[in-house]
Amino acid sequence: MAAHAHAESIEDSVYFQYETLEQQQETYILGMWAFLLTEIMMFGALFLAYTVYRFQYQRDFFIFHEQLDWKLGGLNTVVLLSSSFSMALAVHYHQIKKKAATLWCLAFTNLCAFGFLAIKSIEYGEKFKHHLFPNDSFVWDAALHGGNPEHARIFFSLYFVMTGLHGIHVLIGILVITTLMVLIAKNHRLITDYIPTEMVGLYWHFVDLVWIFLYPLYYLIPK
Amino acid sequence: MSTTLQEQIASPERGVKKNYLNADHTIASWLLTTDHKRIAVLYLVSISIMFFIGSIAAAFVRFELTSPYGQWLTSEQYNKMFTAHGVVMIFFFLIPSVPAVLGNFVLPMAIGARDLAFPRLNLLSWYFFVIAAVLMLATLAMGGIDTGWTFYTPLSSLYSDTQVTMALVAAFIAGFSSIFTGLNFVATVHKMRAPGMTWFRMPLFVWGSYATSLVILLGTPVVAITLLLVLFERVFKIGIFSPELGGDPVLFQHMFWFYSHPAVYIMILPAMGVVSELFACFSRRRVFGYEFVAFSSLGIASLGFLVWGHHMFLSSQSVFQGVVFSLLSFMVAIPSAVKAFNWTVTLYKGSVHLTTPMIYALAFLGLFLIGGLTGLYLASMDTDVHLTGTYFIVAHFHYVMVGGGILGFLGGLHFWWPKMFGRMYSEFWGRLSALIVFVGFNFTFFPQFMLGYLGMPRRYHLYAFAPEWQFYNVLSTAGATVLGVGFLLPAFYLTASLVKGKKAGPNPWGAKGLEWENADSPPITENFERIPIVTGQVYDYDAEEDSRLIRAELDDHERRDKAHLPGEH
Amino acid sequence: MSTNTDTQDHGAHAHHVTPIGKLAATFGFLLFMMALTVVAARLPLDMPDTFGWLSPYFFVTNAIALGIAIAKAVAVVRIFMGAKYASKLIKLYAIGGFIWFTQLFIMFFDYGTRNWEEVRGWEKVPSSSLPRNRDSDAGIPYPVYPGSHAGSEMSGTSEASGEAGSGH
Repeated sequence: MAAHAHAESIEDSVYFQYETLEQQQETYILGMWAFLLTEIMMFGALFLAYTVYRFQYQRDFFIFHEQLDWKLGGLNTVVLLSSSFSMALAVHYHQIKKKAATLWCLAFTNLCAFGFLAIKSIEYGEKFKHHLFPNDSFVWDAALHGGNPEHARIFFSLYFVMTGLHGIHVLIGILVITTLMVLIAKNHRLITDYIPTEMVGLYWHFVDLVWIFLYPLYYLIPK
Repeated sequence: MSTTLQEQIASPERGVKKNYLNADHTIASWLLTTDHKRIAVLYLVSISIMFFIGSIAAAFVRFELTSPYGQWLTSEQYNKMFTAHGVVMIFFFLIPSVPAVLGNFVLPMAIGARDLAFPRLNLLSWYFFVIAAVLMLATLAMGGIDTGWTFYTPLSSLYSDTQVTMALVAAFIAGFSSIFTGLNFVATVHKMRAPGMTWFRMPLFVWGSYATSLVILLGTPVVAITLLLVLFERVFKIGIFSPELGGDPVLFQHMFWFYSHPAVYIMILPAMGVVSELFACFSRRRVFGYEFVAFSSLGIASLGFLVWGHHMFLSSQSVFQGVVFSLLSFMVAIPSAVKAFNWTVTLYKGSVHLTTPMIYALAFLGLFLIGGLTGLYLASMDTDVHLTGTYFIVAHFHYVMVGGGILGFLGGLHFWWPKMFGRMYSEFWGRLSALIVFVGFNFTFFPQFMLGYLGMPRRYHLYAFAPEWQFYNVLSTAGATVLGVGFLLPAFYLTASLVKGKKAGPNPWGAKGLEWENADSPPITENFERIPIVTGQVYDYDAEEDSRLIRAELDDHERRDKAHLPGEH
Repeated sequence: MSTNTDTQDHGAHAHHVTPIGKLAATFGFLLFMMALTVVAARLPLDMPDTFGWLSPYFFVTNAIALGIAIAKAVAVVRIFMGAKYASKLIKLYAIGGFIWFTQLFIMFFDYGTRNWEEVRGWEKVPSSSLPRNRDSDAGIPYPVYPGSHAGSEMSGTSEASGEAGSGH
C-alpha cells in the first residue's frame, strides 16, 4: 500500500565502474558469495578441530554434551530458522519494491536475532554459573558426571569458541540489518535496488547455516 | 629502443593533462580515495616502509652471525630479530607486495575496467593493512616476539612471555586485508572484463592474480581462525592445541600450514604473472604455450593446497601421510616447470631487449629455478630429515621468496613505473642495481646452501661448536650488504625519476595490453576515455618486425655517425 | 499468504523473485527436519558399539544427524539464498566453498594412520607424566619407553631430565 508511494524513490542506478545494472547486481552477489567462501573456510577450520577431538574423545563428548540444554538449543534453532524465513521474505518484498513490508520483515528478523542472543546468554550464564567457561575458574566434576576433566576443557573451549564466533556473527548481523533498515527507511542513496538486502540476506542465511550444523553437533551428540 | 619510444619522446608535449595523480592534491583526497591506482600507490609507500623495517631486522641477524660466539645479541634478542624479520617480511611485505601494489594498479586496466568491482572495500583493505602494520610495529617496539613467524604451539600459546597476543591480532587483521583484496580481484576478473576480453585474451598477470586471489580466499580464513585459537589458548588456556589437556599441537601445524604453504604461492604466483608479462614484452613474442602457463597458475594454486604436510615430516604426523604429501609436493614441480620452460622458449627467436625489468625477469628465472629445484630435496622425505631446520631451508625459501617474489615485484615495478607516474627512471641505474641485486643475492644465499649441507641449524646465533661455518656466514653477510645496497638504490633513482625523469609516453616499452595501448601515462582517474573493445589476441607481438626495426634503427644510427651528425644515443 | 506474486507489474526484473509459497514451504521443511533431527538423536536405538566410531550405532546416528543438517543446508542455500535461480558462476562459488571445505579433512588421513607405525617417543602418555607437570604428582616416574635409550638413562635422574625436557 504505502510502498507504491515510495516506488519511484527506490531507483535503479549504476556505479561508474559498471556498464550495466545487470553486471553490477551480479558482481555484488558474486562478491558476497566469495566472502561467504571465506566464512565457510573460517568456520570449516573450527569444524575440523571439533571433528578431530570428537573422534578421539567420542565417549567423553557424549557426557559433556549433557550439560548443554537441547531444548534451549532447539528453541534457538526455531528462532533462527524463522529469522531466516523472514529475511527471505524481506528480499522478496524488496525485489517487488514493497518498502513497508521489507522493513517489517527486517524488523522481525532483527527481533529474532535479539531473541537468539537472549536465549544464548541464558545458556552462557548457566555455564558460567557451573564453572564451565574455560578460564581459571573452570571446574569439571568428574566424580559426579564422569569423563576426563581435561577433555571437558577442550569440549567447552570448542563450544564457546564456535558458538561464540557464531554469536559474534549474529551480533554483526543485527548491526548490519539495523543499518540497512535505517538506510531503506530514509531512502538513502546507497540503497538503489534490492541488492543490499539480498547481500545482507545471504549473510544472514549463512549465519543460520552455521547454526544448522552447530545444533546437532553440540546439543544432540549420540551416546 | 623501438620506434614507438622515440616517437613518443619526440612528440610535443600536450600540456599538463588531467590524470589520477593531479586530479586532486589534498591529503584527504589520498586517504579517502577509492581509486585503485591511488590505493596502489598508498600500498607501495606502506609496504616499502615495512620492507625497510624487515630489512633492518635481517641486517641484525646477518651481523650477529659473522661471529660464531654470539657476541652482540643475547639469544632472546636474536630470536626476536629473526621473528621480526619473518613476520614483517611475510605478512607485511611479500603477501601484499605484488597483488596489492601491482595487482591493484594494473589488474583493472589490464582487463579494461574503470576500477575494481568494490572500490570502497579496496580502501578498507588498505586501512586494515595499516592498522595491522601499526599494531605489529607497536608489538616490535614493546619488546617483540620470539616464536618465529610460524607461531608454533605450545611455545607461542603457553611458554613465550613476549608480545605474542598482540602480534597474533596484527596477523589476524592483516589476513583480512588480503582477503578483501582477493575478493575484489575475483569479482573484478569475473565480471568487469571489457567487451571482447575473453578468458584466453587476459594477460597472464591477470591469470596469476586470479589464482592468487582464490588461494587467499580459501586459505587465509583458516589461518586467521587458527591464530585466533592460539590467542584464546594464551588468554584462557582453552587447550585445543595444548598436549597437557589432551589437545594436539600438531593440529596447529596442520591448520597453520594449510594456509601458510599456499601462502608461499600467494607470494610467488603473482610474481610469476608479472614475469610472464616481462618475457612477452621484452622478447617481443607471445608467451609460448600461453594456455599452459595460464592453467599452470590454477594448477599451482589448487595443488598448492594439497602439500602442506611437507613442512611437518618431522612432526608426529603420520609417516604414511608424509609419503602422500611428499608425492604431491613433487607434483607441484610440474606446473612450475611448465612455466619455467615456457618462459625460456619464449626467449627463443625473440627480439630480446635487456632493459631493467627484463634483467629482473631473467634473474627471476634463474633464481626461481634454483629455489624450486632445491625444494625437491626438501620434498623427498629422507633428505628432508637431514635438511629440515638447517640453513638449507632458509636458503631454499629465500631463493623462492626473494629470488622469485621480490625480484618479480621489482621487475614489475620497473615495468609499470612509467605507467604509474608517467616518468622514466634512469635506465643506467636501473640496470646497475638489478645486477647488484642479482650478485648480492647469490652471495648472500648460496653460502647458506653450503651451511645447510654442513648442518648449521637455522635460528641459532651461536655456533662456537663449529667455527668452520664462520667463513660461509661472513660470505653471506658480505653478500647481504651488497644486496642491501641493491635494494636501496631503486628507492633513490625511482624517487628522483618522479622529479627529473623523462616524460614517458603512454607506451614507452612498445608493450601490448590495454593498460599500455588504451590508457595514458599516468592514466586518468577513469582509466580509459572510453571502454576499449578487445578484438585481437593477447601478446600480439611481432619479434621479426621488431628486430627489423631495431636493425633499421641501428643502421640509421651508423649512417648519422658517419655523417657526423649529433646522435641521440 | 502463499499467493503467487506476479512480477509483471513491477517492471523488467530479469532476476528471479522467489514466490512466497516456495519460501514458506522451505521454512516448513526446515522446521520439520529440525524436529526430525531432535527425535532421531533422542531415539533409544540399541546397537552394539564395540568398534568405536566404526560401530553401527555411532555411524548411523551421526549419519542421520549430519544427513539432516546437510539436507537443511541444501534447502537454505538453494531456496533462501537463491542459488537455485542464480547464474552458473554464482552456483560455482556457492558449491565450491562447501566442496573446498571438505579438503580440510585430508588431515584425517594423518590422524587415522598415525598409529600404524610405531615411532619411538611418539607414544601417548598421560599428561601428568609429562616432565613439566611432574611437580604436582612427583610420585609418577618418568615414562620409560620400551627400547628407548634416553628413557633408561633418564629414569634415574628424574629431576635433571625434567629440566632438560621442559627447557625446549
